[in-house]
Amino acid sequence: MSALEGVAAAFLLAGAGFYLAGTVGLLRFPDALSRLHALTKADNVGLLLVCVGLALVAGSPREAALLLLVWLMALLAATVSAHLIARRALADARDGASAVEGPP
Amino acid sequence: MNLVLDVALATALTVLAWRSLAGPDLFRGIVMYVVFGMVMAVAWARLGSADLAMAEAAIGAGVTGALVMVAYWRLRRIAPVEPADPSPRRSRLAATVAVLSAGVVAAIGLAAVQAIGPGGIAGRALVEALPATGLGNPITGVLVIFRNLDTVLEVAVLLAAYLAVRALLGDGGESLAQPPTQRGTLVAALVSVVAPMTVLVAVYLWRAGSQWPGGAFQAGAVLAACGVLLFLTGRLRPAVEAGPVVRAALVLGTAAFGVLGVAMLFVGQPLLAIPGSWAVYLIEAAMMVSIGVTLALLFAGAAGVGGGRR
Amino acid sequence: MNGLLAFLVVFLLANLAAGMWRVHRGPTPADRMLSALLIGSTSVAMLLLLAAWLQQPALRVAALIVVLLAAILSIAYAGIARPVAVAPERAGPPGDPP
Repeated sequence: MSALEGVAAAFLLAGAGFYLAGTVGLLRFPDALSRLHALTKADNVGLLLVCVGLALVAGSPREAALLLLVWLMALLAATVSAHLIARRALADARDGASAVEGPP
Repeated sequence: MNLVLDVALATALTVLAWRSLAGPDLFRGIVMYVVFGMVMAVAWARLGSADLAMAEAAIGAGVTGALVMVAYWRLRRIAPVEPADPSPRRSRLAATVAVLSAGVVAAIGLAAVQAIGPGGIAGRALVEALPATGLGNPITGVLVIFRNLDTVLEVAVLLAAYLAVRALLGDGGESLAQPPTQRGTLVAALVSVVAPMTVLVAVYLWRAGSQWPGGAFQAGAVLAACGVLLFLTGRLRPAVEAGPVVRAALVLGTAAFGVLGVAMLFVGQPLLAIPGSWAVYLIEAAMMVSIGVTLALLFAGAAGVGGGRR
Repeated sequence: MNGLLAFLVVFLLANLAAGMWRVHRGPTPADRMLSALLIGSTSVAMLLLLAAWLQQPALRVAALIVVLLAAILSIAYAGIARPVAVAPERAGPPGDPP
């Protein structure tokens, strides 16, 4: 592997590590809000590292620009989604029960 | 590594499909179903079929997820408590049906394996005939040129589905209950970025579909998802009557395809012959508009649209 | 590089399976929805990796479609999760249309 591929591999592995951290947080943290906190790190930073790694070995600047666009849109979507879900999680914790469904 | 990936994907899909249907918790089943759609898109990507991955992504992420959620909300308004089901009774037929279904799927799979690719008869003929049409995407070639009777009828079926929903809504002037619209600042910012982007992506998919993966259906699905987003955030309001623009958009796909196909008869060509790539673009644009408008209206359960309050 | 990309796709699929577990466990609907959020982001990363591994640039457009539409599910969820004032004093049995 060339030096560029080595650097890209490092970025990709780091991104995978962040995804692993998000998953561990998802499984191990005690409640919805802390799980949300963990996985948003994976969402944003993990995807950024993966996109950077892939952009380094991309075939053309156009592909790298598309990767950047994907990450920016993911940032927007993850932010709004996390905000909306957190609002519901907070309301659920306050009310003590879900208003939507029956037993889990 | 290939084999590990394929086995893992197949197992995940089977487990997700099972968990979507089993168990008493309907909301969990819904989320499992949405995840199933996402993993399905990845599976199509793994198989190298970018067209299907795009279509699954657009339909699964944009339309059916929100559709099932809103249907669940409407169901909860009618029947607020799920009936307690302490032990699911197993039907004696279940095992027999499962084995027969697996047998049918296996038989179809074996037949398909022999027929796919340039080795099969139809595949060989397609590969030979495609360059003459000026298209680079064999899927678009099959959909719009070689087997376009299927496509015309599919778009007509979509129109028929809309008419069926109109019939169910009835003449009473009532519209289906809609969940509360989201109008917060963050959501508004999202819509102001995402809605124009979806139009851009849809136009790209339409334009690229003749040479690269893409096409009318993917573009229409992306437009429909934009419509879903606008309905959910109150930018579009469902109406019980369809205005002239909406009516025109609904029939545009079927009409353009049908008129062009019949017009071919008058110039000595067989029915539904396609005269050139300009016709492909025209038909795909018409289908994109129809598919987008129809799916969005089917999501809202509405006959037409009115503007939203700002 | 190809081997690394293939390995990462399998690795992310294992992460996704772990997310499926959280969807199964819950216990609240918010838990299931946030798992779906992580699974969506993982799918996007998998699509981008597959685009590089299989030399299919169109898969990046598929990833773009997923991220564009990813928030729609959460917006729909936010709409349906409010407490709904249902009128249980309706005389008919459940299942009648309103």
